[in-house]
Amino acid sequence: MKINKKIINKIEGEATLKIYGDKVIEFAEIEFWQYRGIEKYLQNRHYMDALVINPRVCGICGHSHLLATAKVIENAFGIKVSKKAEILREITTGLEIIQNHIKWFYVTLYPTLIQDKSLILKSLSITSFIAKIIAVIAGQFPHNSYIIPGGVTCDLTNLDILRVKEDLKKLQEKIDKIIDKNGDSNDLKRLFEKMDKNIGKGLNRFLVLGDNLYFKPTGDLTFVKEEKTKSLSKNALYKDEFFEVGPLARNLHHPLIKSVYENYQDSVYTRIFARLYEMHLILEKILNEIDKIDMCEPSFIDYTPRNSEGKIAIEAPRGSLIHSIEISDEKIKEYNIIVPTQFNLSNSTKEKPSPAQAALIKEDIKWSDFIFKCFDVCAVCNTH
Amino acid sequence: MRSKPKLLWIDAVSCNGCSHSFFNIDLSFLDDFELLYHPLLPSGDFKIQSSDILIVEGAIKSNFLRLGFDLNELISKLFFKAKTVIALGTCAVYGGIFGEGLVFNKTSKGKFFKCKDKVINIPGCPAHPEWLFYVLNMLKENKKIVLDELNRPVEIFSYTSHMGCTRNEYFEWKVDAKRFGEKEGCLFYYFGCQGPFTHSSCNKILWNEVNSKPRAGTPCFGCTEPLFPKENLFQTETFMGIPANIPLGVSKRAYLTLSGIAKSLTNERLTKRLIKCENEDKQKDN
Amino acid sequence: MREKKKLEIMHTALKLFAKKGFFNTTIADIAKEMGMSVGNMYNYFPSKESLAKELLLYTARIFGDEIKKINEMDISTKEKIKKIVELYFKKAKEEPELVDYFMRVYLSNKEIFSNGCEGMLCVSPFVTEIMIFFEEGVRKKELKNQDFFAAFGLFMGYIGGLAFLNRENILGKSLDEYIEPVSENIYNALKA
Ligand code: SF4
Ligand code: SF4
Repeated sequence: MKINKKIINKIEGEATLKIYGDKVIEFAEIEFWQYRGIEKYLQNRHYMDALVINPRVCGICGHSHLLATAKVIENAFGIKVSKKAEILREITTGLEIIQNHIKWFYVTLYPTLIQDKSLILKSLSITSFIAKIIAVIAGQFPHNSYIIPGGVTCDLTNLDILRVKEDLKKLQEKIDKIIDKNGDSNDLKRLFEKMDKNIGKGLNRFLVLGDNLYFKPTGDLTFVKEEKTKSLSKNALYKDEFFEVGPLARNLHHPLIKSVYENYQDSVYTRIFARLYEMHLILEKILNEIDKIDMCEPSFIDYTPRNSEGKIAIEAPRGSLIHSIEISDEKIKEYNIIVPTQFNLSNSTKEKPSPAQAALIKEDIKWSDFIFKCFDVCAVCNTH
Repeated sequence: MRSKPKLLWIDAVSCNGCSHSFFNIDLSFLDDFELLYHPLLPSGDFKIQSSDILIVEGAIKSNFLRLGFDLNELISKLFFKAKTVIALGTCAVYGGIFGEGLVFNKTSKGKFFKCKDKVINIPGCPAHPEWLFYVLNMLKENKKIVLDELNRPVEIFSYTSHMGCTRNEYFEWKVDAKRFGEKEGCLFYYFGCQGPFTHSSCNKILWNEVNSKPRAGTPCFGCTEPLFPKENLFQTETFMGIPANIPLGVSKRAYLTLSGIAKSLTNERLTKRLIKCENEDKQKDN
Repeated sequence: MREKKKLEIMHTALKLFAKKGFFNTTIADIAKEMGMSVGNMYNYFPSKESLAKELLLYTARIFGDEIKKINEMDISTKEKIKKIVELYFKKAKEEPELVDYFMRVYLSNKEIFSNGCEGMLCVSPFVTEIMIFFEEGVRKKELKNQDFFAAFGLFMGYIGGLAFLNRENILGKSLDEYIEPVSENIYNALKA
């Protein structure tokens, strides 16, 4: 059988896809070769340093890594934060998810089928507008460290909040033009003009572990295990099985997304639709929350560190993100990160494929790039 | 008309944050360049080729594959085929978290030190997009970019990130923030702010045009400096209570005298909260 | 000329403070001792408080200058400690009133210095040098890194206490003989 090896790039790094088969994909292996060693780097450092280092796992979803870092330390120390801090965190991490989806759709996925520079520039003008909203709260984007155990570092004024709120409304209008509340999207239609909406079906098994924003966990993170592979990334399994995580998994309960799912199951189309539509759901949630901010609450509540362990999950742009930590004398003894791409793009066997492998099998080779990228792969995260 | 400068952007060991940071400005000016390759933006297929400007994002490191090549070999080839090289971000300039920089490896000489004359260093984790915008446009227009001894454009790096911080008055009067999450107080004494000795213009050329870390209550971590990230980033290193690092350009004696005086003379206005909450008032009234 | 006169007045005042106590000494007393008219005295010092402040600044500067020299020497922190103790005991012997004033009048009459001499303001030249001494000791890893005042109190309280005991004639031996053991004790207490 012919083996076709190709490097897939422009996915926040790169992956190597080994495709077995001539025209139709019999089986595909996914390899990541760019290990960076963040977890080792953290060892013996002060636990607070992780708030600066972990965002550098990834330039597009570093803010989720920041939230996860603060939360895992809070989990270890048993810390609570004020409602105000919690809402601000939801706003900035929710906005990060939205900018991620826009970049993924227009900069990563679209060009695999349609080259349209104006779309890219337009989409990046929206994401830089989002970055600006985040920066009002967090100082800058990307790579701020304003979320800390015990709360947030900023101390906003009513004027700041007003500004954020006005900008969120403007953002809502911009997103309406990408996909409206009824799920209509010209750009999505255009993408599927010459494409079958039914290709790229995965395992039809979904998992949600995080409970930030409006997401509800469907599983218990203690059942997650990592497994070594031939390349430098690790597989992530839940109760020894592969599961798909991400926007489709966490929004299946939504009536509109559910109806698309009923028509096309877990195909590329459903996956893309869920990701785009999620932007509305997140925006609605944070617009609703922003009015609940009580400016008189503290941004930060002090605490006492102790020797302890923590493990948490949050929903990041691409799905469930797990951080775990062991702290002794305020130093990090162990740190472990499991990213969504490890779940979706595990590299396993033909008999027991991962979601992305299952989606590739039996499809035309010419769609391999598209199917692969519809999972919103993050290579840098995967090889942290 | 002159032909467009050929621009090749390669990612070494990075987080792609410098690219994403760059995406935060209006990219239409890129029309004046011929983009040969970019790790995220659509561009031609990658091949080793000559360029007018090579941007390296990320650190170099042995035994690392990039686009099917050994990273060090790949960077070497591209480096020598480029007229000007921009080391973008602290990774590419000093090594940062992930490896070694081009011209420098932390505070020592790097692999390309001998060829440093063709390199422009733009440190920062990430580098500020407007800094790169400035350098690219100056290059395009064939204008001279004055560099300092570490090959950084002086127009950007002769500032400290402390300059222009909204907490400057608190610094002047030595009113230290005692807890996180308050707009009052300076983060220099307790929370490790490296602003006064970090070369960068974060509080002049604001981030995303609106803010900066210290303004948002987060200390400056010195992310434009050779040793970023140092240890204990949220704590000020002190020797017998005296900050181990003092503002650039001042003697320790002068600094201690001045800060001792400032501390002795309290500025009443700065010891109170700027904006009081209704609740707080009520609590005090009760 | 004027400066010399001021210095003379300050030294005279010091002696009187030591003899009669700070509060019981008046400008008139000082003028009398100097053989000056009270009116002329006021040309030099408008009030007793201003004299007291200048005296403090003067003393702090003397100590500051001397410790600065020690700080700039290329010797170990342990040796520096001995030099500082030596300096202090020497002054305590040569100008007991000055040292007494610095240690006691200033510290126990802070209210007089509340205006224009707040906090460490008037002793800044001295405190700055002590800070530099401590900071460099820690930087060179010869002293333990700790709170400034914990170290400062130990050092100054100890040698100040000995100077006091000496003035009260309680010490069995001469102050010089204490330089060695006192320096040793301070070093042991502060070393890394
Ligand atoms: S310098 Fe910082 S932001 Fe830029 S690639 Fe390196 S880690 Fe990422
Ligand atoms: S917080 Fe940092 S940057 Fe701001 S004034 Fe203080 S030292 Fe300077």
